[in-house]
Amino acid sequence: MDLILLAELAVNGVLTGLLYSLFAIGLVLIYKASSVPNLSQGGLTMAGAYVVLALAHDMGLPLWVAIPLAAVVMFVFGMGIERVALRRLAGRPVVMILMMTLGIDIFLRGTTLAIWGGTSRSVDLGVSYEPLFVGDILVSRIHLLGAAVAILLFVVFVLFFRTRLGIRLRAIADDYMASWSVGISVERGVGLSWGLASIVAVSAGIIWGEIQGVDQSLSLLLLKGLTVAVLGGLDSIFGAVLAGIILGIIENVGSAYLDPFVGGGSRDLIMAAVLILTVMLRPHGLFGRTDIERV
Amino acid sequence: MTPALEKEAASILSMNSIEVLYDNVMLAIKGVSIQVPRGGMVALLGSNGAGKSTTLKAISGLLKVERGRISRGEISFDGSVITGLPAQQRVEMGICHVIEGRRVFEHLTPDENLEAAAPVSMNRATLKAEKQRIYEYFPRLAERKNSQAGYLSGGEQQMLAIGRALMTQPRLLMLDEPSLGLAPFLVTEIFGIIRRINKEQGLSVLLVEQNALAALEIVSDGYLIENGRVVMHDTAQALKSNSDIQEFYLGGGSATNFHEIKHYSRRKRWLS
Ligand SMILES: Nc1ncnc2c1ncn2[C@@H]1O[C@H](COP(=O)(O)OP(=O)(O)O)[C@@H](O)[C@H]1O
Ligand SMILES: [Mg+2]
Repeated sequence: MDLILLAELAVNGVLTGLLYSLFAIGLVLIYKASSVPNLSQGGLTMAGAYVVLALAHDMGLPLWVAIPLAAVVMFVFGMGIERVALRRLAGRPVVMILMMTLGIDIFLRGTTLAIWGGTSRSVDLGVSYEPLFVGDILVSRIHLLGAAVAILLFVVFVLFFRTRLGIRLRAIADDYMASWSVGISVERGVGLSWGLASIVAVSAGIIWGEIQGVDQSLSLLLLKGLTVAVLGGLDSIFGAVLAGIILGIIENVGSAYLDPFVGGGSRDLIMAAVLILTVMLRPHGLFGRTDIERV
Repeated sequence: MTPALEKEAASILSMNSIEVLYDNVMLAIKGVSIQVPRGGMVALLGSNGAGKSTTLKAISGLLKVERGRISRGEISFDGSVITGLPAQQRVEMGICHVIEGRRVFEHLTPDENLEAAAPVSMNRATLKAEKQRIYEYFPRLAERKNSQAGYLSGGEQQMLAIGRALMTQPRLLMLDEPSLGLAPFLVTEIFGIIRRINKEQGLSVLLVEQNALAALEIVSDGYLIENGRVVMHDTAQALKSNSDIQEFYLGGGSATNFHEIKHYSRRKRWLS
């Protein structure tokens, strides 16, 4: 295999990986606040894409109106999940919250299927499918756009977590009881994380919807997103970005080498191997925080 | 006014015959009454499991998140009844509870710990001034204000927990076993600072301690709680010279180490 091809595989791996990161950032936001991997992030992402379609195609709004409006709708919806489904679970075993997120995912899949049916729809962002040559390397414009959105969100959240509101959210992530003791509203903080994760879901939903069409399979992004989030450490946004890049490269380059031997399908095997090995060898991922030993 | 009512009016906190149930079955305190005078310092003493932390949680409202509730009695703060209010509202009113075990926000810096606890409505300038005030009380924190709080020493973490509570602008500060696991010189230092804040700012303090010796040095009076009941209430002077207290809590008597003292205290109770 020649070097240009290898470089092209790697560069496209990075871009695809950043699209996984885009999804995984939502998982990280909720993990920070609720200490559970949100199993409904796939459902939220799909719902986000459908809401954009409903506003843009069914109601005829221009995309530049439909997308921010969908973000607002999904933000409120995410806050609502905390209020209706999670608030009463505060202080209960984490596994119950995990099961609740699974329930929400099933609910979202059922609802979107009932409302919008099973046929795939396209987003039509208006991004050209003409491939773009960067030097000798061929890249897809929509992947480039998605990667830029992922990096933008990363920067926005890094800055956000330094604001006073962001500091309070990090305090909640550290210790619910201590937060309550100084008057921080843990409930509102958790709600805010769900709202923000739902906005992330809208952006991931649009990009992935543009790439593979909007249908039920969008919710399956959860599997790759979770792998990325786990590798990154579940509660680190920087970890999610870096893990996405690493995983994207391994997946893209690895599958190009392996597919001829196994007759296709090696992408899923690579994902599975990364997830299993991470949990076995490095349970806190690349950047996950470990609990500090107290003296 | 009757003498009893007069006493209540002079109190910033008045807790009357409070009973607390956990999980609707476990009766943890059984009719506890406590008064904290405005600007005063009061100690709540007792051995492990006596009900000290439960009493503080009843006052701060943190019972609810532990599935506990007040099943009888009334608590009033500064003249208004707070028995059923949510914890957040009590913090806004001026009650702050430094919970057991130095629970600082480990992954935040001390500076961020202080900011996290500041009321949302506090403006930037006041926030800065308030942080400065706390660093003046605890110069050790100022030195380490940008390191990760989880890696501070035990004494520094306790100072940070207290400083963080002060950021909420309390009028009543409740401390749950601040001396636990700290070297004696640190206990002296921290208690000295609490005394100073009490004097300078008129902050009322309710101090829960197993370390009665240290606590009785700085408070004006103390309550002794056993098995969920107040079994003694007196001035710090009187408590210090009380022979039972000396035997059990001040390390006198025949027992030579903490374990023996605890063991012995389990056999002999004031009420059971
Ligand atoms: N969350 C809880 N659920 C059930 N029982 C509790 C809980 N917290 C404390 N208790 C019980 O209430 C009693 C008093 O505990 P506590 O107030 O923590 O005592 P202290 O602070 O004096 O050591 C103990 O018997 C303890 O086992
Ligand atoms: Mg206790």
